[in-house]
Amino acid sequence: MRPDFGSLTEHVVEFSRRLRARGVLCGPAETADALRALRAVNVLDREAFRLALRTTLPHRREDLGVFDALFDAYWQTGLAQRSEGQEDRPEPQALAEAAGPGTPSLRRWAEEAAEGEQELPGYSPVEVLSRKDFSSFREDELDVIARLVVAIARRIATRWSRRRRRARRSHLLDMRRTLRLHLRWGGEFPGLAFQRRKVRKHRVVLLCDVSGSMDVYSRFLIQFVYALQDALGRVESFVFSTSLTRVTEELRTRSLRAALDRLSQRVPNWSGGTKIGSSLRQFLDRYGGLLDRHTVVLIVSDGWDTGEVEVLRRAMQEIRSRAARVIWLNPLLGSPGYQPLTRGMQAALPYVHVFASAHNADSLRELERVLARGRVGRPRR
Amino acid sequence: MGDRSVSRPTLGDVEQILAALAQEGYIADREIATAIYLSIELHKPLLVEGAAGVGKTEIAKVMARALDTDLIRLQCYEGLDVNTALYEWNYQKQMLRIRLEEGSGRTPEEKEQTIFSEPFLLRRPLLQAITHPRAPVLLVDEIDRVDEEFEAFLLELLSDWQITIPEIGTIRAQHVPYVVLTSNRTRELSDALRRRCLYLWIDYPSFEKELAIVLRKVPGISRQLAEQIAAFLHAVRALDLQKVPGVAETLDWSAALLRLHRDHLDREAVERTLGCLFKHHEDQRVARGPWLDRVLAVIADAQRDGQSLQAALDRLERLARG
Repeated sequence: MRPDFGSLTEHVVEFSRRLRARGVLCGPAETADALRALRAVNVLDREAFRLALRTTLPHRREDLGVFDALFDAYWQTGLAQRSEGQEDRPEPQALAEAAGPGTPSLRRWAEEAAEGEQELPGYSPVEVLSRKDFSSFREDELDVIARLVVAIARRIATRWSRRRRRARRSHLLDMRRTLRLHLRWGGEFPGLAFQRRKVRKHRVVLLCDVSGSMDVYSRFLIQFVYALQDALGRVESFVFSTSLTRVTEELRTRSLRAALDRLSQRVPNWSGGTKIGSSLRQFLDRYGGLLDRHTVVLIVSDGWDTGEVEVLRRAMQEIRSRAARVIWLNPLLGSPGYQPLTRGMQAALPYVHVFASAHNADSLRELERVLARGRVGRPRR
Repeated sequence: MGDRSVSRPTLGDVEQILAALAQEGYIADREIATAIYLSIELHKPLLVEGAAGVGKTEIAKVMARALDTDLIRLQCYEGLDVNTALYEWNYQKQMLRIRLEEGSGRTPEEKEQTIFSEPFLLRRPLLQAITHPRAPVLLVDEIDRVDEEFEAFLLELLSDWQITIPEIGTIRAQHVPYVVLTSNRTRELSDALRRRCLYLWIDYPSFEKELAIVLRKVPGISRQLAEQIAAFLHAVRALDLQKVPGVAETLDWSAALLRLHRDHLDREAVERTLGCLFKHHEDQRVARGPWLDRVLAVIADAQRDGQSLQAALDRLERLARG
């Protein structure tokens, strides 16, 4: 028996089409590869036939399961039922980011934060907010936290570029330019030319839950946001409870206390209920332009959503598809007995690259470690 | 690229690759052999994904040996730059030349042209690969470690097979290399890169495959011990560990047990050699616990009674999860 390549071709085309209908990344180029591959193997050997298609059609591990199921169904009978179920699962992914040099401004921030605490006037919403969780941080811990936040911010937001640029002085010699200078000066040694690696920064979009359930963490969160923005410069900050407010400008001011003051005046429903989904939707609709492949989205929330879960799921899906990374910090993750089982959290989790706790210095240290994983300064081995 | 790849050698079929792999001491299944074979036949890059320690890098080595050609390796890491991946100027040599030409009366422009020419070029892996006298195997190891920019650059190279050096011009590949890319999936690769490649996912080996590997690669090991080792690893990989041991660890461990003149696994033997398998303190603590006794008991029982191996393996897996 000789294989009939004519009808085989049709079947392979149809099979590829069905894979594609199920969300497998597989177009005419793959189909052509598959047909070339089939000419190179013995197609009468079912296993060889299967492996040839399996090597050429799918391109990711997640698609192998879809392939296997469809292969059995399609090539068993050749008359498989047509089903157009869309597979739509993002896969988990670890971060690989680099850290840059530290900034001195954070010490100032930490000092200011401590100072502000003592000088608070009588009653104000700010005071309540400020005192709520502050007791749980010891003075020395605050300093540690400040440094950790900067380290984290840098891991999130910077990476070394492959490109280099000229520099007055650094530890990297620009030999190409040095030699040129040397020649130009007719053998005299005019000095050294240096270069420096460009540090490219990600934009960070920070979405921070300030609703009632997050209340006890608010003080810490504001510090976190403030530190992040201070350390990076390219942070767009938003707070949300039932609706979303952009607070980038408020936090741009140099004083933490003033920032807190202005914030509590501007943000409606501070410490109210939560509608995470519709807040994120609002973000996408009004500020969606901030998202691109170099944007890291950092969401700080406990995931207690009182709105529609589907709204949240869709918003997360869209954020995930448009941003470089999605990091979700959940302060409750560290508390004993808490499992991320709130419906909102469950809906959001599949779209999150890094899910971590952020309720004390230890958890931040852990986060820093997670973010550092995969980052290597020089080749291993 | 058509006629640039005339000189490529080809292998008969998958069976021949399997044989070539076996000859090289590599125990491959048909899936791996087919992927290597098709990558050569279709002359398309092969993207190999899987956890650390499953033998991704070996694929390229074996491919090079099977094709009887050279292996050129580019180890990726974050911040990998042109100077390490493509080329660098040989500055010592350039300076020497400048010295030698002092007083030669040549103009700076002439001198510059001399020292920025091919003899003064240090070829890094990618340039080496495209200027190689016969199609080599280019291994781009851990591609997931480089940033998107470099990935895009690599994608361009994989389609055009040419490199432009400002001082010299464009260098085109004489022979298109065979390419193997590996990824540990620390970062998602772009769809464009994936679609340029054939795809192979390597899982941890099955019990049978691991047994075969141990028997083959650890000379002098008894079948009984090898079976116990493979079963033990099967149970270990079902544990929730920081670092799951790969095949390399299995082989290290087997060799260590052999060196200690062990013919079977017991608590003492395992504890003395724990470091071969578990590279994290926390993992070692888990392995040392009561879990160990239960696993050893299941393995010993299964072997003594000649029970169905599959049943024992299933019980081991349940042990690890419960």
